Amino acid sequence: MTTTAVTSAGIASEAPRSDFGRVLAQRERRFAAALLAPAFLALLATTTFPLLFLVYTSAFRMDLAMPFTNGFVGFENYQVLLSDERFWASLLVSLVYTGSTVALQVIIGLALALLVMDMKRGQGWFRVIAILPVVLSPAVVGMIWRTFMLAPEFGIVDFLAINAGLGSKNWLGDPTLAMVSVIAIHTWQWTPFAFMVLLASLASLPEDIYEAARLDRASAWQRFRRITLPLLRPAIVMVIIMRTMVALTAFAAIFTVTAGGPGTATEILNLYAYRKSFTELSIGYGSALAVALLIVTIIISGLLFAMRRAK
Amino acid sequence: MSGQGQVSFRNIVKMHGEFAALKGVNFDIKPGEFFALLGPSGSGKSTTLRILAGLDAPTAGRVLIDDKDVTSTDARDRDIAMVFQSYALYPHMTVAENIAFPLEMAKLPKSEIAPAVKDAARKVKIDHLLDRKPGQLSGGQQQRCALARAIVRKARLFLLDEPLSNLDAKLRLETRAELKKLQRSLGVTAVYVTHDQEEAMTLADRMAVFMSGEIQQVGTPAEVFARPNSIDIAGFIGNPPMNLVPARYVDGDVIIAGHRLKTTATTAGERDVVVGLRPGALRLAEGGLGARVDLIEDLGDTAVLDLDCAGTMIRMRVADGNIPGEGDTISITARPQDIHLFDPATRRRL
Repeated sequence: MTTTAVTSAGIASEAPRSDFGRVLAQRERRFAAALLAPAFLALLATTTFPLLFLVYTSAFRMDLAMPFTNGFVGFENYQVLLSDERFWASLLVSLVYTGSTVALQVIIGLALALLVMDMKRGQGWFRVIAILPVVLSPAVVGMIWRTFMLAPEFGIVDFLAINAGLGSKNWLGDPTLAMVSVIAIHTWQWTPFAFMVLLASLASLPEDIYEAARLDRASAWQRFRRITLPLLRPAIVMVIIMRTMVALTAFAAIFTVTAGGPGTATEILNLYAYRKSFTELSIGYGSALAVALLIVTIIISGLLFAMRRAK
Repeated sequence: MSGQGQVSFRNIVKMHGEFAALKGVNFDIKPGEFFALLGPSGSGKSTTLRILAGLDAPTAGRVLIDDKDVTSTDARDRDIAMVFQSYALYPHMTVAENIAFPLEMAKLPKSEIAPAVKDAARKVKIDHLLDRKPGQLSGGQQQRCALARAIVRKARLFLLDEPLSNLDAKLRLETRAELKKLQRSLGVTAVYVTHDQEEAMTLADRMAVFMSGEIQQVGTPAEVFARPNSIDIAGFIGNPPMNLVPARYVDGDVIIAGHRLKTTATTAGERDVVVGLRPGALRLAEGGLGARVDLIEDLGDTAVLDLDCAGTMIRMRVADGNIPGEGDTISITARPQDIHLFDPATRRRL
């Protein structure tokens, strides 16, 4: 459309013709830009602007409880943050929470997928049932676990613990158990996702190479180590990337179950930023915490994507 | 090479639900033999190979390898190497890693694996491709890689499931000859599944012809070609296959379309028979069976004529030089020893 066809018109008529083409091309670009503009502006307004504003506010003291101290402070918030023990503690909680939930999701998801692949009947039902936790809202999942599963004496988990001779435990009151509980809840909700992705990937592996491996005298474990795992690697890395990004920024489930407690035992960085901003009303410092979380997330996903590209 | 590789199938039955894929199969393979399982698709030849490999279990019957009952032995423990129709190469491993895999599983030291891999790759002429992945190889190269992986192990039995069917015609002919040389030089027992009778005829020392889950005949290619023992085999072997013409047998003669032909084959008294005539055994001769030439398929050095003998279609192969024209009326005959007789009811040879 925008290129001009030079035929027998000669050089004389070529100049105005290509001018015409340039005008056309320009118009087309403008039209395309006009079509893109609304979506682009909406994106800018809802993602880029808040992010930039977040970085901006992190350079201010903005304390709603003591507004008279407000003002520009430069990097002071970040200096405070680096020597803030609660920040480092919450970062550690975030990393433990993310690392263990993602590892558990991949391991359990893969184990389930391998089991279900061998099921002769009922695969479809298993898939439907397995996917149910994923469709629930994390807040709802948190409520279900807090009341139905973990409540002392009445919850299913506590009931099982009592019957197993472990005795009733304060699942959400004990710092270690609370951490274990929130990790278990997240794993429970999101393992089906890993399971579904890995099952689809497993189902696409050709059967004949497993027969060849059997004739090559590979044991079941060797077939898994040498054939299944390497062939599933792209899917596993993808699951790790997607789940890590979500786990790092998890909020609703922990908020509804422990709200970061007891004390700060389950306070991930995200929750700390929230508490700082909206409970302690220190918006400036909360913003700095959120920026720190953003940086951590970017670094970790950068590493994961590098891992994906590597052989 | 273990120098063994004797195989016996004893009344092997394989059921898929109600359907009998194998209806009691018996055969013996001698050590060092190149044995072909030949048959049309769905005749049970691949099932037989998979049962021999231990990939499928028979519903009934016994499989013996070197006089040992291996019916319930896992594929891993049978010491069998196999080339799959799809090649079944490990896609994430290089050619070298693919070939080394069976040796690694056998826990051979690394110092022995590398030279063995090189040696196997050289035998099938892919030693320049060792660092490639299967996805970067052509079909023929993949096939060679699968061959190398199978021969590197020096297993006692070497199974090939239609290994040439995914190659183009020219490559198939080349590889066929190489395969035969390779098997001879290795001295290993080979079992070869194919639906291509030409492959079976050229490669095999002996072959078993499968028809709908049963073995119809076992013998050398020459025997099966010369004396097919049923109408089905007669109609399957040979290109074009044997003409099968309903006729009447009257003491030493067969009567086809009103014409008498002498035969050396004998049967009791006077009865209906099916006469088998190889297209290449028919001759042009005065005073023979009259026929009109319907169609000529010229193959260059020979031609195949479709003849109409009073309503019966007969195909005849003639050498270049004396090809009649389409529409001509000719007269044909056959030597008495070239006339095969079959029972139309039992479909067996008489």
